[in-house]
Amino acid sequence: MNVQTQSPAKILPDAQTVSSVHHWTDTLFSFRVSRPKSLRFRSGEFVMIGLLKEDGKPLLRAYSIASPSWDEELEFYSIKVPDGPLTSRLQKIAPGDEIILRPKPVGTLVLDALLPGKRLWMICTGTGVAPFASLLRDPETWEQYDEVILAHTCRTAAELDYGRTLVEALPDDPLIGELVGDKLKYYPTTTREPSAIEGRISDHIRDGRVFAALGLPEWTCDSDRVMVCGNLALNKDIMGLCEGYGLVEGANSDPKHFVVEKAFID
Amino acid sequence: MTFVVTDNCIACKYTDCVSVCPVDCFYEGENMLVIDPEECIDCGVCEPECPADAIRADTEEGMEPWIAFNEKYAKIWPVITEAKDPLPEADDMDGQANKLETHFSENPATEAA
Repeated sequence: MNVQTQSPAKILPDAQTVSSVHHWTDTLFSFRVSRPKSLRFRSGEFVMIGLLKEDGKPLLRAYSIASPSWDEELEFYSIKVPDGPLTSRLQKIAPGDEIILRPKPVGTLVLDALLPGKRLWMICTGTGVAPFASLLRDPETWEQYDEVILAHTCRTAAELDYGRTLVEALPDDPLIGELVGDKLKYYPTTTREPSAIEGRISDHIRDGRVFAALGLPEWTCDSDRVMVCGNLALNKDIMGLCEGYGLVEGANSDPKHFVVEKAFID
Repeated sequence: MTFVVTDNCIACKYTDCVSVCPVDCFYEGENMLVIDPEECIDCGVCEPECPADAIRADTEEGMEPWIAFNEKYAKIWPVITEAKDPLPEADDMDGQANKLETHFSENPATEAA
């Protein structure tokens, strides 16, 4: 009789194994995990991930998948909240550990929710850059748009590192570097310490500084598409600005000119 | 915070919302869906998807009765995890006033025959 050896049963239900962890600052870290074979997602979507609590029940939070849809692994980018019920423990994970991952990807920040356009603006704060980390590494984004602008606002320069590292690596990326070409524009700002560009992105849009700095026209429905992923205040501000320019909010079922997602915080 | 389903869902029940809910917190009545306010993670993905624009954040004005309404029926209706066809008269019923008084059914959804 043939006895097939099976891989060891996973300890947690819906468990995936951590393959690497990178701490960016004392409040930010990223990590990569195995990807369930049957998981298909669109770049920009999020899934519920987490750990088991002491009572055996799962504690899950929504996390954007920071890796593109073609990647064999999944990447996530998280804050560390000292007393946070999830991240106080999640920040300690190491390669070989397991996390729970519910395989139902959903989200508003997907290319499908926008009508064809010329320029795609990705506007985010803090860990809100995660869905854009996925979209920026997806060839589909570069095929659909002539220009892509990543406008990332953080409190400090160190908090911009994850996004900056990714942006700097893109033109040389063996897979999509050629598609990126010179289409990418990066507009990082800090709010709590001096840097090359200071202030909140909403103010820079409102007073036209960002358009002047990048040599781009103000938003029109014909050409511009906007994706927003930040804290509630930023989201509200940018939505107001979008609507002021006549842009209409889109959805999977009714694509339009801009989409918004809350940057989930523990 | 939570999102809530309001009266324009009644007699339409498009169910587009169900496809995009990451935590499966929609519960199905005979001719309407509700959201369980305890389970909702407030991600907001369902709100722009509803063709009837029946979903609202509970922070909007006038939503308090709907929070209680959603909570009540989420307890007695079965969970719905996959979208299905809208009710046959959905497009006609979309936007009709007073559906709560004239059409709402308290009955949970039943299994399809």
